[in-house]
Amino acid sequence: MPDMIGAEAPSADVRVRPMRRRGFLAAAGAVSAAPFIIRSARAADNTIVLGSSLPLSGPAAPTGITTQRTINHALEVINEKGIMIGGTKYTMVVQHYDNKYVPAEAVTVVEKMLSDGVRYLFSSGSGNSVPVVEKTTELKCVQLSAASGKDHLTNPKYPFSFRVQPCNETAYAVYPWIKTTYPEVKRIANIGPSDEAGFTETADRRMLAKKYGFTSGANEFFKRGALDFYPVATRLAEDKPDLIDFGGTIGRDQGLAVKALRELGYKGKILLGYSDAQSFVQIATPEAAEGTILFDTLAEPQNDSEKQLHDWWIAKYGPPMPSFAYLMWDWPFMLAQAIQDAGSIDTTKVADSLRKVQYHGLFGLERFGMKSVYGLDCSLTRDIPMSVIKNGKPAPLDVVNWPVGV
Amino acid sequence: MTFALQIIVTGLVTGSIYMLIALGVTLLFGIMRVVNFVHGELCMLSAFAVYYVSVLWGMPFLVGVAAAILFSAIVAVLCQKLLFKPLNYDILTCFILGVGASFAIRSATWAVVGPEPVAIPPTFPGVFVWNGVYVAKQRVFAAVLCSVLAIALAVFLRYTRPGRAMRAVEQDREAALLMGINPESVYVTVFVISAMLAAVGGAMLGTLFGADPEMGADPLLKSFIIVQIGGMGSILGTVIAGLAIGLSDSVTGTVFGGELAFIFDFAILMIFLIVRPRGLFGYDV
Repeated sequence: MPDMIGAEAPSADVRVRPMRRRGFLAAAGAVSAAPFIIRSARAADNTIVLGSSLPLSGPAAPTGITTQRTINHALEVINEKGIMIGGTKYTMVVQHYDNKYVPAEAVTVVEKMLSDGVRYLFSSGSGNSVPVVEKTTELKCVQLSAASGKDHLTNPKYPFSFRVQPCNETAYAVYPWIKTTYPEVKRIANIGPSDEAGFTETADRRMLAKKYGFTSGANEFFKRGALDFYPVATRLAEDKPDLIDFGGTIGRDQGLAVKALRELGYKGKILLGYSDAQSFVQIATPEAAEGTILFDTLAEPQNDSEKQLHDWWIAKYGPPMPSFAYLMWDWPFMLAQAIQDAGSIDTTKVADSLRKVQYHGLFGLERFGMKSVYGLDCSLTRDIPMSVIKNGKPAPLDVVNWPVGV
Repeated sequence: MTFALQIIVTGLVTGSIYMLIALGVTLLFGIMRVVNFVHGELCMLSAFAVYYVSVLWGMPFLVGVAAAILFSAIVAVLCQKLLFKPLNYDILTCFILGVGASFAIRSATWAVVGPEPVAIPPTFPGVFVWNGVYVAKQRVFAAVLCSVLAIALAVFLRYTRPGRAMRAVEQDREAALLMGINPESVYVTVFVISAMLAAVGGAMLGTLFGADPEMGADPLLKSFIIVQIGGMGSILGTVIAGLAIGLSDSVTGTVFGGELAFIFDFAILMIFLIVRPRGLFGYDV
């Protein structure tokens, strides 16, 4: 094949210097404008500011944007009645910052919020939440994380840190259910992203698999946002597990990995969660996605509250409604109830109150628990809806009760 | 044996797509000394163009690819005219501006298409199974198409009049000017061809991995690694390095685990930068 290039590079004298003045003016303009576009976290009296660090761009953006929309609507509903403290009506405002699902970005935006006086913080993703928990604890900021991260986030050292979504903990409920529902499953392999979420999810899930009598198979990690899953899928398929647990894998990664596994001839079961089921099917292709078991995924609304949220979403954003929105709906109401029960916006009192809240939400009774595992009640416990991909669509499968004593 | 064959097939197929995308990068650098950071976004925009035309509007896949090529070429020429030409193709300034433009295009795409990744159904659904080696038919199609286009590019540059004009401008811009070649026209042609390669690569990536606004970053990074290893501006070097990186990803990803593939790519790159900075077939820059 002929090579394009001759022997020499073009002469340097045809190049001219860059337009430094233009670049300088652009940079100066950007710097001058910055103070006007940075929002202040300080709010008016009787307003509680909720800082929010979540991925609004990057590979995890679908989850982040769904969360953003859900929180915004939850606060609209909360603010209609308000939070009553000593006869005074308080409202909540949220300030969302994009952490791009990059821990360094998350630390930057959270530090900015904390310096602006934010004392109630929502944080998405364990890789983004773990690096800030020391700081939020020091400042007595109530940190509500939608994240795995187990004892890196839920620990007696961090009494202000709450996890608002059962993550790795779902395995406490789901693995015993698999044992009885699919007795043919003996060997479980794991796949997860090579970050905090992937490592903590996988560690817990493998520990629980062993506890409930399964054999542990291959344990694979991948770079989040990778395109080609054939190499990692080849290793997993070669291991021939009965079930592959996707643990902390979210978003497009799930679809691509499942597609690769099926193309490489893997016939066993696949268990995953945390994502919008319809988007997953689209990326994986309906044939590859068929039969996938979805933990903590509500395929379609089952009660009036869920239907109400579903109808609101469809009216505002059109179909389909991402199933992840259901998971992010209840915790703002739990926070509002805790503040009202505490009768104060003092975060120490609110954190104590949060640990006692018994809230009847979309999934029945919800409360912060798991003291038996973590030493304090700071991880959300509730029933886990299970779905399955059937005829290319998510369909309800079962509801797994939260195990007694966990 | 089957396992090893699976790894090799996987690597060659993926490598051929990266190779095609990297050819666009090396073409621009070889002739114009422009490091085009927008190249990955052209892949991404092309994948979305295919999605809109052939999935949403229901037109044939080939029409979608043609639309993607046209769209990609328009964006590339706009970048050339509005960004790179006013800066006289200065390598450093174009590099920085390209990074900014890349982020701007990505963010704008987020705003337009929304958060959900989209899938483009394969043109050739199904899987080939041969002696226990599995490979999706769409992957084979992508690999063949990319290889054919790489050969076509080499033939174009060697044997056609516009191709020779490009090489002339690359070798000596002033001499080419004296021979009646308009370098500006050549530059436009180079941008268009580079964009076409990105468009086909993006369309293939879209059918294999779906489309989302972030999808251009990975192929762009791989392209830079490939171009550096193959030698800046070398077609042959890019072809060899593209396939080698595909194989390397497949071997390291399968043998040592997926998270190590990128580390290995960068390790190879660092070795080349230290031992042979001009790459396999390039020249000192």
